[in-house]
Amino acid sequence: MSTTTVTGALVKPARLRWLSSRAFARFLTAATPTLYVLLLLVGPIVLIGLYSFGLMSNIPGVHGSFSTSNWSDFLTGAGNPFRSRFFTSMLITLVVSCAAVLGAYPLAYFLAFVARRHRYTILLAVMAPFFTSYLLRVIAWQVMLNNDGVINSLLWQLHLRANGHAITWLIYSKFSVGLVLFYAWVPFVALPIFVVLDNLDPRLIDAAHDLGAGRFSTFLRVTLPLSLPGVVAGFVFVLIPTTGEFIAPLLVGGPSSQMFGNSIQAFFSDTPDWNYGSVLAIALVVVVIVLLALFGRFVSPDLAAPEEAAA
Amino acid sequence: MRDINRRDFLAAGVALGSAAVLGGCGSSNSSASSSAKTTPLAKRPDIAKEPGHLSILEWGGYEAGGTPAQTSGLWAGTDYTKAFGKHSVTYTYIVNDDQSLAKAANGGPFDIMHPCNEMLPSFVSEGLVQPWDTSLLPSFKNLNPFLVQKGQLNGKQYMIPWDWGYASLLYRTDKIDPADATGWELAWNPKYKGRISLWNGAGSNMEVAALKLGYTKPGEMDHMSDSQIQAAKQALIQQKPLNKFYWSSEYGQMQPAFKAGDIWIAYTWQDAYVSMNAAKLKVAYLNPSEGKLSWFCGFVLGAQTKNYFHAHKYVESFINHHACVQMTNLFYYGTSDMTIKPSEIQDQHLAKQLNVGDPHAIEASDVHLQSWQPNRSMYELAWQEVLAS
Repeated sequence: MSTTTVTGALVKPARLRWLSSRAFARFLTAATPTLYVLLLLVGPIVLIGLYSFGLMSNIPGVHGSFSTSNWSDFLTGAGNPFRSRFFTSMLITLVVSCAAVLGAYPLAYFLAFVARRHRYTILLAVMAPFFTSYLLRVIAWQVMLNNDGVINSLLWQLHLRANGHAITWLIYSKFSVGLVLFYAWVPFVALPIFVVLDNLDPRLIDAAHDLGAGRFSTFLRVTLPLSLPGVVAGFVFVLIPTTGEFIAPLLVGGPSSQMFGNSIQAFFSDTPDWNYGSVLAIALVVVVIVLLALFGRFVSPDLAAPEEAAA
Repeated sequence: MRDINRRDFLAAGVALGSAAVLGGCGSSNSSASSSAKTTPLAKRPDIAKEPGHLSILEWGGYEAGGTPAQTSGLWAGTDYTKAFGKHSVTYTYIVNDDQSLAKAANGGPFDIMHPCNEMLPSFVSEGLVQPWDTSLLPSFKNLNPFLVQKGQLNGKQYMIPWDWGYASLLYRTDKIDPADATGWELAWNPKYKGRISLWNGAGSNMEVAALKLGYTKPGEMDHMSDSQIQAAKQALIQQKPLNKFYWSSEYGQMQPAFKAGDIWIAYTWQDAYVSMNAAKLKVAYLNPSEGKLSWFCGFVLGAQTKNYFHAHKYVESFINHHACVQMTNLFYYGTSDMTIKPSEIQDQHLAKQLNVGDPHAIEASDVHLQSWQPNRSMYELAWQEVLAS
């Protein structure tokens, strides 16, 4: 009995020592985000993967069994409309991402080099609408773009168009989807570019001028190359979330401007076929992973030090 | 291990549904009153012991009178909210029939749901609903026996029918050539490209395409073969570029666009015709040569409801005579209440035009009642392919 007590007395402090050790603290610190990622990111993706291979079914009474037929239908089925929609959506995404970068760069440049001490006030003003719901902002665009909306009414008031003759392609078209996505992402693209430009060493620009470079040449040969990490980061910021976009096409898009995300959403909300919807969802996840792998290495974790990132 | 592919999956869904329908067919000759079986009440807790807050799956515009969500002027449900409070109900919305089943299966559990009749076998086969105790509904005896019988499966009253009406094309008579407005092909007329809007509803659009293609035998539009489904899909793909948009919200999207003149032709229900008449637009509600669609919807009781008695009180507050009369005068839909007198309907011309006072209108030979589709999964997939094409 006394031996047990002695052994217990020896073991207990050892356990307590480990609980209060640095290693346990490190384990706890790592375990929390790991658990979060496993439960809320990896777990759902694995579940969707199981659905995509028919191993699970959302229909009561239908038991799942392994099948690749949905995958082969999507990947190799002749004239599969979802595959065509996928490529069309990727094209829209690419165009929107490029346009957002082109639109955001002048804004970031203005904030970094022209606005000077007012730059953070202006930045806040630019970002202010984005503290409201995305859904509300898209609906606000509906009000603007409708045939009897703000833009057409203004054109009628200014006699730039005959009263009642609206520009019909303003809404329910690829243009309206692109415009809303462009609007939604420009400030977020401008942010990383602004951070890079704001932290640019002004001596480099002065040196370029001293060596005889003009303003445009300095921009092309010094400012732009050094700001590329911010540009790539901004591009990725738009590209990845836009691949799964469905709200803007749903609210301001026409029948021909629906995106791949709309098909996924419809399979899960309007039909009982989660299995086929899961194939589409996993295909999108794979694309996002590939994009991250492609662009991730161009995005510096420390945008404030572009020289290091470029190196 | 046997592979399950999409065809097998759909076939399994079809088999499940078929089993439910075949089961239901066995009781189709039984009368409405005798076949409605009651649930033992002794086992249920008293209404005072129920949680009391109802969760309801509903179409926009049909919320109970007195609730903050009710803005269309509907009075039905007011008796309930007077008794239990204006915040005693929470609504989750559906925008089409396909969504009603998907949300009921995955978004619930709901105490009450308001699907249309063609979805009932799927609700029953998926175990989402339980039978009503019609003895707890004093107004049940006044309901249309044809609709009541359609609400039964396996001899049990799973659906309390309430609203019925037509679906057709609403069009602007000042914009559309009368010679073009003869049948469903009006929606396929390239002259009106960009001025047409069909509903974003899988089953309904496949039915419209079926009628346009001439599949007009009774029930044929809901029992299409694989090749007919493919033909209907191709017809809808051909029609797709003519649409301004596929509408999902009647009051938030289609009606404002129609009033603004953005669209001249829309697939819709008769309340939109009433609404556009009220807005003094020159409109007509098409009587297609192939026949109009007709539909009816009703209340189903959630299988897991803990508000059994509250749910019955709620439904009674919708099917009572006063509520039905007011609903008809508001939307000019028909109701299942057979005791409505012609003198109670305010606009006799409109009532006659839409047959709202005729309890047998929904059974007429020149209309196609939307019914359960054994191949519904195929219809839904075909519609998704139309959208993605």
